[in-house]
Amino acid sequence: MRTRRARAAGVLLTSVALFAAACGGSGSDTSGSDSGTITLWARDSQKAFINIVADTWNKDHDTKVKVTVVPQANFVQKFGTAAAGGSGPDVASIDLVYLPYFASTGVLDDITDLANDLPYKDDLSAAHRRLATYNDRTYALPFTAEASVLFYNKDLFRKAGLDPDKPPANYAEIISAAKKIRALGNGTYGYAIAGQCGGCQVFEFTPHIWASGGDVLSADGKKALFDTAEVTDALTFYRTLYTDGTMPAQSRTDTGTNQPAAFLSGKLGMTPLGAFFVQVLKQNDKIDFGVAPLPGKNGGSASFSGGDEIAVTKNAKNKEQAQEFVRWATGEQAQTVLAENSIVPVRTDLIDKIYTPLDPRNKVLADAMKEGRTPYSTVENALFNDSNGPWVRMINRAVFDGDIAQAQEEGQKAAQSIIDDAP
Amino acid sequence: MSGDRHRGRRQLPFPGPAATAGAVRRRPLSRAGRRRLAGVAMTTPALAMITLFFLVPLVMMLWMSLHNWPLLGEHRFTGLKNYRDALHDTEFRTAVIFTVKYTLITTPVLFVLGLALALLVRRRHRGARFFQFLYFVPVVVGLASAAFLWLFMFQSDIGPAGDLADHLGLGSRTTNLFAGSASAMLVVIGMVTWKVVGLQMLLLLTGLQSIPTDVEEAARIDGASRLQTFRYVILPLLRPTLALVLVFSVAGSLLAFDQFYVMTGGGPSNSTITAVYEIYRTSFIKFQLGYGSALSALLMIVLVAVSAVQLLLLRSSDQ
Repeated sequence: MRTRRARAAGVLLTSVALFAAACGGSGSDTSGSDSGTITLWARDSQKAFINIVADTWNKDHDTKVKVTVVPQANFVQKFGTAAAGGSGPDVASIDLVYLPYFASTGVLDDITDLANDLPYKDDLSAAHRRLATYNDRTYALPFTAEASVLFYNKDLFRKAGLDPDKPPANYAEIISAAKKIRALGNGTYGYAIAGQCGGCQVFEFTPHIWASGGDVLSADGKKALFDTAEVTDALTFYRTLYTDGTMPAQSRTDTGTNQPAAFLSGKLGMTPLGAFFVQVLKQNDKIDFGVAPLPGKNGGSASFSGGDEIAVTKNAKNKEQAQEFVRWATGEQAQTVLAENSIVPVRTDLIDKIYTPLDPRNKVLADAMKEGRTPYSTVENALFNDSNGPWVRMINRAVFDGDIAQAQEEGQKAAQSIIDDAP
Repeated sequence: MSGDRHRGRRQLPFPGPAATAGAVRRRPLSRAGRRRLAGVAMTTPALAMITLFFLVPLVMMLWMSLHNWPLLGEHRFTGLKNYRDALHDTEFRTAVIFTVKYTLITTPVLFVLGLALALLVRRRHRGARFFQFLYFVPVVVGLASAAFLWLFMFQSDIGPAGDLADHLGLGSRTTNLFAGSASAMLVVIGMVTWKVVGLQMLLLLTGLQSIPTDVEEAARIDGASRLQTFRYVILPLLRPTLALVLVFSVAGSLLAFDQFYVMTGGGPSNSTITAVYEIYRTSFIKFQLGYGSALSALLMIVLVAVSAVQLLLLRSSDQ
């Protein structure tokens, strides 16, 4: 009996060793790239333009860029695991909210000197520059911008007796406009949100708090500010839209797919969304829409500064060319390609030349980009973008269950403990 | 016996086909020896696969669970700290309680329905075959696809289920079933039942068909009623199949993830987060792979224990 077991174990160990050796032999140079190419990873929401950008570069450069599109929902995990295992790309286009995290873990190359040498370094989006900085070093350059604004349906505004050229400019005006549009009947709603989408809620809800003079994190990112009066006001504003019946029941469980669809159906008066939606609406060509800044409680306005930054990875095989590409991506040629594809450029010095003239509504988006803000935290994903995280949970409970004070108190506690537990 | 041991020891360093050839040249193997070697050669690939894809990851997981192991950056040995933290983790506890609740509801529903369907279609004629096919079809649909299908069907305003309820006067098409924790869970259970009950039916059906008809007839001749025959003849003979079905069903429910990830996203207000969902969040949203591994290890221990208890309960009383 003992011999049989020992023999089996021996067979097993040897075959595993052989198998592992075989894998190791063939798999050693699948990662990275040879000297003639730069590998670039981007998320799938960029697929409409990232290849056009790469083609533009490839046309007059010997080193070619090879794009890999990664599903947005898994980008952080995929890039993180690849970088940890040394098989990541040379260049990555990363959602700017994740920059502090990736910079803090040492997977990105320090490009401080490159960034400081850019003649237009002070004209790049301020929010992007802040997010790319970790311990006073720069780890990425701004690439694309995205701004959150209020979209409204001008036809429904007219039908409800509202002035389509004078969009609402504070909470009370939005609430009253939403009521009038809901009163049109026939399944029209005033205002829709994506109540179970972390990315949407940080993008669309925080601007109201900023525009009212508040914030969601302290400047150093060490303190959560979920229990402040400005947050209470903004939650009460959403809560009122819901209790008035102007917000569809779907909003509570919407993971971000229903909200744009509802606006496209022509039965939704207003909804907060980003610049990307302009392109969708223009292709569709059915809705006469307007774009307005997201207001604060008593006026003012703010925007979330979203989009991507472009970074060279620590283990890049082709560092020199990768750096050259990253620099080129912030240049006029690349930024113009972006503007032509309805992406907001990150260059404030170029925006009035290459972007604003393309559509009168782009002015609002350009201004929103210039004043845009972004929470800075190495645990941004767990705090805000996690659809089951404290930010979404607080909003969902406060708006749809109504216990605003308790939701804020628990949200604050949960958020602070995530920050305190950060490595 | 001693010759056997001797030969075994000599072969140990040269296993596999190459060694066989060498051994043959030296001394012809006995028939039994050849059979043994063939057996080893045939099971080796499977064993290698199990080692590579189960044992190695399992050991790695247990090793990681003893560390503070972020997705990126340095990891550091922390001993059993992750396990101690897990015992005081209220979010994980809530997820476990929800998973148990879900399992307690799903298991009997699936079991009773599966058995009822199996009894309905056990006769060997063409009609029964057709219904067997019909009940089994959803099983071949992927779980995620089925979840998306039901998500759409029960979507407020646009889903056909709400439309139907509206026409029948049973409800309104604007009711958002996913906005309440109880109604959201019911829709998920409905989907899982539709998707899985066919497999349970099929397993129970094979069990039923392996029971010789003579025992049933004998019971009838002795004057047992239909119900008595079922209770005292069929059920006891079905016990091995019942054990299999129950272990499958309970393990499947305790590991539930896809259906909730797709259909409720853990909502409303995190009320439908299962244990595996929480492990996913810990590992890939909070990037704490070490802590996620510890939670996985705990879940694995529970699963092994539950399955063992079930098998034991259903076996011991039979002997």
